[in-house]
Amino acid sequence: MNDKAILSVTGLRARVAEEDLDILRGVDLNIRPGETHAIMGPNGSGKSTLAKVVAGHPAYQVTAGSVAFQGEDLLEMEPDERSQAGIFMAFQYPIAIPGVSIANFLRTALQARLGDDEELDLFDFQELLMERMELLDMDPSFAQRPINDGFSGGEKKRNEILQMSVLKPALALMDETDSGLDIDALKIVAHGVNTLREENPDMSVLLITHYQRILNHVIPDVVHVMYRGRIVESGGPEVAMELEARGYEEYRIAHAV
Amino acid sequence: MNRLAAARRRAREAGAEEQGQIEGASPERATKNVARSSESTRVPEPDWLKSRRDAALELYRSMPLPSTRSEEWRYTDLARMLRLDDLVPSAGAQPGPASSNGDGTVPEPLRRAMAQDRDSAGRVIDIDGSAVSVELQDSLAAQGVVLSSLREAVRGGDPLLESLLATMAVPASDGKFAAMNAALWTDGVFLKIPRNVQLERPIRLSRWVSHPGTATFTRILIVAEDHSRVSFVDEILSPDFEAVTLVNTAVELFSHAGAQIQYVSLQRMGKGGFYLANQRTLAKRDSTLDTLNVALGGSVGRVDLNARLLGPGANSDMLGLYFGDHDQHFDFNTSQDHVAPNAHSDLLYKGALDDSARGVFRGVIRVHEGAQRTDAYQTNRNLLLSERAAATSLPNLEIEADDVRCSHGATVGQLDAESLFYLMSRGLDREQAERLVVLGFLGEVLDKLPMGGVVEKVTKAIEVKLGHVR
Ligand SMILES: Nc1ncnc2c1ncn2[C@@H]1O[C@H](COP(=O)(O)OP(=O)(O)OP(=O)(O)O)[C@@H](O)[C@H]1O
Ligand SMILES: [Mg+2]
Repeated sequence: MNDKAILSVTGLRARVAEEDLDILRGVDLNIRPGETHAIMGPNGSGKSTLAKVVAGHPAYQVTAGSVAFQGEDLLEMEPDERSQAGIFMAFQYPIAIPGVSIANFLRTALQARLGDDEELDLFDFQELLMERMELLDMDPSFAQRPINDGFSGGEKKRNEILQMSVLKPALALMDETDSGLDIDALKIVAHGVNTLREENPDMSVLLITHYQRILNHVIPDVVHVMYRGRIVESGGPEVAMELEARGYEEYRIAHAV
Repeated sequence: MNRLAAARRRAREAGAEEQGQIEGASPERATKNVARSSESTRVPEPDWLKSRRDAALELYRSMPLPSTRSEEWRYTDLARMLRLDDLVPSAGAQPGPASSNGDGTVPEPLRRAMAQDRDSAGRVIDIDGSAVSVELQDSLAAQGVVLSSLREAVRGGDPLLESLLATMAVPASDGKFAAMNAALWTDGVFLKIPRNVQLERPIRLSRWVSHPGTATFTRILIVAEDHSRVSFVDEILSPDFEAVTLVNTAVELFSHAGAQIQYVSLQRMGKGGFYLANQRTLAKRDSTLDTLNVALGGSVGRVDLNARLLGPGANSDMLGLYFGDHDQHFDFNTSQDHVAPNAHSDLLYKGALDDSARGVFRGVIRVHEGAQRTDAYQTNRNLLLSERAAATSLPNLEIEADDVRCSHGATVGQLDAESLFYLMSRGLDREQAERLVVLGFLGEVLDKLPMGGVVEKVTKAIEVKLGHVR
């Protein structure tokens, strides 16, 4: 059943390197091309850790299990190799890089995908960047600002989606992109994501969120509940509705240690 | 005020201690070597210069090599790094294949560096402490701009030399190395911009040192008369040396009322280079005297920069940029002396350090009594790219006026793993990610570099270092 999956996570356990407690305690997750999955779960349950382990964050150490992306062992790959293979993570807390403009950064990132013997066409790049900024209702001057430096919370989130829309990943991990966005911005960002999905129907999305609201705009095929480092329930969009109403109390009782 | 008095007393004591301590170890042989040979190659000089040199030489001999016991040299251990005894003077006329003196050719690396320059109003080429070529646009010469080798200028007898050379700006009494230079300089540049003449393009000095184990002494004297404007780019290159090779540079800059001087130093010596510079800027009323020190090369670089704001409305922007790798050692000792009221100075030094490189910044803003409404800032920021790299930053304020705006700040930061991951998660490899973070960090200074090839040169040199190719 895993052979059609774009992302296949099996029995994944991971911890912060040098600490002795696993944060992820046996995660199983399969996402097929074109699917959108949502993960919900209380604070500290390991949602971001899962996304970061998939993206290759060096702070985490995998202690058991496997992660395959398009059939390849992801855990053997460097973060940049994972990105080039088609994985993109929109950070919950995007990092500021003073002095490096968004345009320069994205140009370098696209050039890196081409390799040494092919030169990125700067006109094409400029056009793509401008088109994407328009899609996300961003002022063109934004491209010249240093990455996330002094950005508002919402601007940072929008900037993540801008990068995603330029890099066109096969699998997008969106970690609480909706948090911090105002109502209008949420719609714009959701529209951006949906546009990408229309452009590439095979694009898969793993959307981490605390709120049902974004799922009205980016409709998930599967909703998972993560609790204490495990996926404890999976179902359709109705799971999100129920969580909104009930909270996590029942999991707390069922998974008490 | 008590604090200041105590600091001064401490400084005096430290000085005294030094005196007593190294007396016996003064580098007699080098002094004799250098002195003998400079006498033999020197063309007849006017009496004022002869006696100035003699006095300087005496001072030089009487002063011990600064030790790490003195506050100003605490982090640069000359006793370990520099053996003056082993140096031979670069007479400026040593014929050899690498020198241009014999056949008039410019060494290839210097030629390449010069080819990157655009837009020059004039250029001096200095090989081994001897100006071998001086060029100035005819139209500027016609307007009275004087660009000449220092030796020529002395011969020409411009009275400015007697009054300004090693007197007010970098006199022999400034210290061991200032005295050494005042006694032993072989050549350099004299540049005078007459009243109201404004140069659109920079004057350049392109320097090269060929011989390992030599000591080269160069002086630069620039006088910008009222409401004139000039930008001067002083670039030095050399091959890699097996032996420590000293370059001692004295830079004396005078901007008169309403004038503007921008002095840029591009230090790109090879391994083994020991670059010492004493720079002093004297800014009169409403003048602007900006400096920029870029240190990329050499094994050791030490710059003493003193900016003196002598007239109301004077302004000095002081920029510094350094990138060290391997075991390079850069030491900047700066001071901003606000003597006049209503003046402004703003210092920003930023450096990235890789491998086991070491950066030292020691800076002081001194607001003298009566220098009210001073605006003075000082910032030093360091980015460490390796566990073994180190930076020391010592900003300081000494304020004797009450109506002032001053601030100072210093930071030493690591290359942050989160930043690298962020960039790599977008597909940049580690090297590209480092390159962006470093260029971004230095960008604040890079963005302020003058046009005409400087930014390109500096960026390229940084990229070469980041790629760890030499
Ligand atoms: N780098 C780290 N160092 C130390 N502890 C960490 C680190 N990363 C995660 N943890 C811990 O692991 C647990 C899971 O964190 P994680 O960020 O994955 O939670 P989350 O589900 O994304 O929470 P939230 O909804 O608040 O974003 C938390 O207890 C957190 O403190
Ligand atoms: Mg999280």
